Amino acid sequence: MAKSYDHLFKLLLIGDSGVGKTCLIVRFSEDSFNNTYISTIGIDFKIRTTEIQGKKIKLQVWDTAGQERFKTITTAYYRGAMGIILVYDITDERSFENIQNWMKSIKENAAPGVERMLLGNKCDIESRRKVPKERGEKLAKDHGIRFFETSAKSSQNVDEAFNALATDILMQMSRRAAHGLKDPVDLKSSSKKGSNKCSVI
Amino acid sequence: MDETLVAADGKNLRAVLCQRCGCRVLSAGTATLATRELLLPSMKKKSSLADESNPDCELLAEHWLVHDMFTFENVGFTKDVGNVKFLVCADCEVGPIGWHSLEEKSNFYVALQRVRHE
Repeated sequence: MAKSYDHLFKLLLIGDSGVGKTCLIVRFSEDSFNNTYISTIGIDFKIRTTEIQGKKIKLQVWDTAGQERFKTITTAYYRGAMGIILVYDITDERSFENIQNWMKSIKENAAPGVERMLLGNKCDIESRRKVPKERGEKLAKDHGIRFFETSAKSSQNVDEAFNALATDILMQMSRRAAHGLKDPVDLKSSSKKGSNKCSVI
Repeated sequence: MDETLVAADGKNLRAVLCQRCGCRVLSAGTATLATRELLLPSMKKKSSLADESNPDCELLAEHWLVHDMFTFENVGFTKDVGNVKFLVCADCEVGPIGWHSLEEKSNFYVALQRVRHE
């Protein structure tokens, strides 16, 4: 059967535990559905489909589900990742400060050309905000990456954020193709057993 | 079984959507109707009259079956529960809407009763 899409991008969501990465979903007030069972098991990954520049893109999004700390996330976790979304909670100063540690972890463990994006998660009400939007914007600018703040009320910003990251990956792919370079993520060799992290800087 | 859901070749005539938020799970014509009894935990809140000692599960027989996970437009996979991963809505995370066994690498089921159709 012919493939029903043009590209498949593996994306990671990382950030401190409790940044409410699972709040990057549409939230509902009281209804008859029960999310308790699912949130107890936890989500492993999601598949999303989007269209960018006429290309059908499948996104496989992995969430660290919050229990990992940056020290325990290893090369294996980053393997094959083409884009990484760094998430902090705008009501949690520490989760913002730790973004620097996550950046370091990415530098040490992820593929060198991986696209990154910073996301301030507005899971809670605005009055509890501790991290001003400007600080997020500045941090993203310092690292030369995109910045978004999500809204708890709709999935619109989340979709926008995923699409922006996918667009960046697509652009990077075509730039590399134009220069006759290999993709930054070589899925075949990276799946080999015992492949080590290597940083060519 | 609603006749307007299935084409002569067994494919889904209409897109499959999340019951709660309308997020698109499968496009029309991408899945095949399959009959198989699968036990899925409830996704509704228990009514106060429900017997707490009963396992809150439902036996569901009609499913949309796909063989490649990237056939899905939008879907979430839970972590492993034994040998099973449950499928949920990618946007609102309601579920389980479907079932996947790690022992059957290329079978992904979405229960007709757990979704709505466009």
